Amino acid sequence: MSGLTLDNTAIVVDSTCDPPPGYFDGPGLAMVPLKVHFGDETYRDGIDLSPPEFFAKLAASPMLPTTSQPTVGEFTAVYARLSREYEHVFAFHLSHRMSGTYQASVTAAQPYGGIEVCDTGTVSGTITLLVDRLRSRLAAGISLDDLHTYVEHFMAENHMLFQVPTLEYLRRGGRIGRAQSMVGDVFGIRPIITVDDGELVAYAKVRGERRALETMAAFLSEHTAPDDAVKLVTWSSDADDKLPALEAALLAARPKAEVVLHGRVGAVVGTHGGPGMFAFAMIVE
Amino acid sequence: MSARGHVLEVLAGASAALGLERDYINDLNVYPVPDGDTGTNLFLTVQAIIDETEAAPVDDLPGLMAVVTRGSLMGARGNSGVILSQIVRGTCESIAAAQAFDAGAVTDALRAAADAAYRAVRQPVEGTMLSVIRAMAEAAADTPGTISLPALLTTVSTAGAEAVEHTIDQLEALRRAGVVDAGGYGLLVLLRGAVAGFLRAETGSVAAAAVTADGSDRRRGRASRHIAGIPPDALEDSKFRYCTSFLLLGDDVDRDDLEQFVNGQGDCALVVGGEGMLKVHVHTDHPGAVLSYASAHGTIDDIEVADMREQTRARRERLRLDQRVACVAVAAGEGNKTLFRELGCEAVIDGGQSMNPSTAELVAAVESLDAGEVVVLPNNGNVVLTAEQAATMCDRRVAVVASTSLPAGLAAMVAFDAAADAAANTAAMAEAMLRVRSAEITHAVRDSEIDGVAVRQGEVIGLVDGRLAASGDDLRLVFGDVVRALGAQGAELITILTALNGCGVTVADLQRTAAEACATACPTVEFLFQEGGQPLYPILMGAE
Repeated sequence: MSGLTLDNTAIVVDSTCDPPPGYFDGPGLAMVPLKVHFGDETYRDGIDLSPPEFFAKLAASPMLPTTSQPTVGEFTAVYARLSREYEHVFAFHLSHRMSGTYQASVTAAQPYGGIEVCDTGTVSGTITLLVDRLRSRLAAGISLDDLHTYVEHFMAENHMLFQVPTLEYLRRGGRIGRAQSMVGDVFGIRPIITVDDGELVAYAKVRGERRALETMAAFLSEHTAPDDAVKLVTWSSDADDKLPALEAALLAARPKAEVVLHGRVGAVVGTHGGPGMFAFAMIVE
Repeated sequence: MSARGHVLEVLAGASAALGLERDYINDLNVYPVPDGDTGTNLFLTVQAIIDETEAAPVDDLPGLMAVVTRGSLMGARGNSGVILSQIVRGTCESIAAAQAFDAGAVTDALRAAADAAYRAVRQPVEGTMLSVIRAMAEAAADTPGTISLPALLTTVSTAGAEAVEHTIDQLEALRRAGVVDAGGYGLLVLLRGAVAGFLRAETGSVAAAAVTADGSDRRRGRASRHIAGIPPDALEDSKFRYCTSFLLLGDDVDRDDLEQFVNGQGDCALVVGGEGMLKVHVHTDHPGAVLSYASAHGTIDDIEVADMREQTRARRERLRLDQRVACVAVAAGEGNKTLFRELGCEAVIDGGQSMNPSTAELVAAVESLDAGEVVVLPNNGNVVLTAEQAATMCDRRVAVVASTSLPAGLAAMVAFDAAADAAANTAAMAEAMLRVRSAEITHAVRDSEIDGVAVRQGEVIGLVDGRLAASGDDLRLVFGDVVRALGAQGAELITILTALNGCGVTVADLQRTAAEACATACPTVEFLFQEGGQPLYPILMGAE
């Protein structure tokens, strides 16, 4: 039976999928970096600047960094190599409403044919969760149709939720989307934000750490049934100490859920979300 | 009263009713183009009739009817105004022929009005003024021949109202926008106003004005479904940009040729009138072409060209503002007032215990905001009634979320969402407010007994939901007791608004006390300290 496997299928992402360290180092995987600029200094996300280095630099920098998408040429180099070595190449990118990365990737993929470039309509660890779920299917072998069906299912059914200590970075970076009118940073409010239709949307503003976690766990309960096969990813920007309590709250709400990954916010998402953000994404398989 | 006096009263009644409703009718206007000027067009068309009638030295009924017809034709503005001019014409010709104004004559006049209106439009569309005038005519025709004129007018008005309600189901554009037809509603308003004017002329009484009560009902209560908020968006722009209308004077104008030409230039074309004077109306991208064609066939006058795209934009802007929700809060203490502002409250009025703001201050604060709907947070039991009083006096929709303490008001304010509508906000804010238990720590103003406990003047007392929970000489100890009481009641988050000047206690002291008070019984309680600055109460607390 001819199908897609880890041996004949490559997956490309950009660095805004905020994976665990080294996740995309293996064969059949490629991560194209966006860039972050501190004044005149340019760093490739995750290559020239690791997440801890970035947050240290962010804390010390008097100015807010800016970010830029990969060039078409950077994608071309990756596609030229992978399309030679693999029968199937898939690329997954952050929402086109947040960056032009998807468009650059589409342009670069065009000459090669057969490369499927996908706007995931979301961002950060959610994309790594998608890749992780696909890789577990590729490991077992999957038909092209079934793979398409799963990607569509994932895009329609995934959810992510995150908390930020301040909305300042989202505001200044212009990525606050429809959460624009949200009030945060005052009176102990913890803004909880989700992604809808490719942009950020205010989900709730809750006061108090415990109730904020309960609100995130309640979101998981609302979107799943007790016996669903729920796969989760959690991640943070320089706030991994927040994750045990988050995971405990999530697993208390859905004991059968499984945390399959721990992501790590890189320099680009970190520029727009700021430090102290923590998040989870979910999919019912 | 003379025939002339009657006619002028009828027109004055129609004009007054339209004047009251014109903005609302403008907002309803989504069809055929959401340019938001139907109310203005109807109002100005009636105004033109009044001007013409007042200037004409005519006193006999047929002569007056001719003047009114002419005035409506010359003054007709916009699509709705031109159709109205035909309704007026049908009515006036019929009444002039009948030489009377009784139930039978009115029934015939309504029929003639409906016929004239349908004739004016090449492709009549239901769910518009046409449907409303026809429903009125049919209702009149269905009444027994013995019916009195006032009873007939009531029947016609009721049938018109039903037809207006029905328009939303007849026309897709209206259904999608969730509104009734602006022209149809405007016609109903006009009829009711005219009837009120007629009854006033007959009886000399102002009681007849009750017929127009619909308008004020809307501002207060919003009774029927078209009264709900009008969504500013989801409306398609006109295919054509300019609403063009003018009079064409001349005896050798070929009306059919003109109509055909105008029709080819755009949509919503209307060519009405006769006897040397035609009113032309069309939505087109080429007003110049239409005007130059017409000027080759006669004299053009009263040219009006309105940019409908600009009108549509202005309408959308207006409605957006109208649907904006804002908050007014009453608060004491700089810290508390700043907090309300930071939470998105646009107006904060000084006030609280023993310094209640006046109704006028509240009304002024509400009316100072660029928002169609305003939520008021009184934040004190003594201010709730004033706020409710003020709510009835404002020129916009006001909801009072009856918060009786600052912590409750702040909790309500946290639930405020500028992106949601007033109803959703009011519900969410009231719910948030009800989850809060309020506590306060102050000094007893005199020796007394509170809830069975004797307290001395100057003693520190702690009240939870208005009942004495602790008392003593040491602010810290009383505070600790209150924290324990709130913790025992299941508090998860305790907000502490401080005003510690002159108390000899610091926020750090209180933080230690709070932590100790909860260490064993309720270790998961979180505390948030905030400098409130309120007078009289060193500490205000909210537990949720």
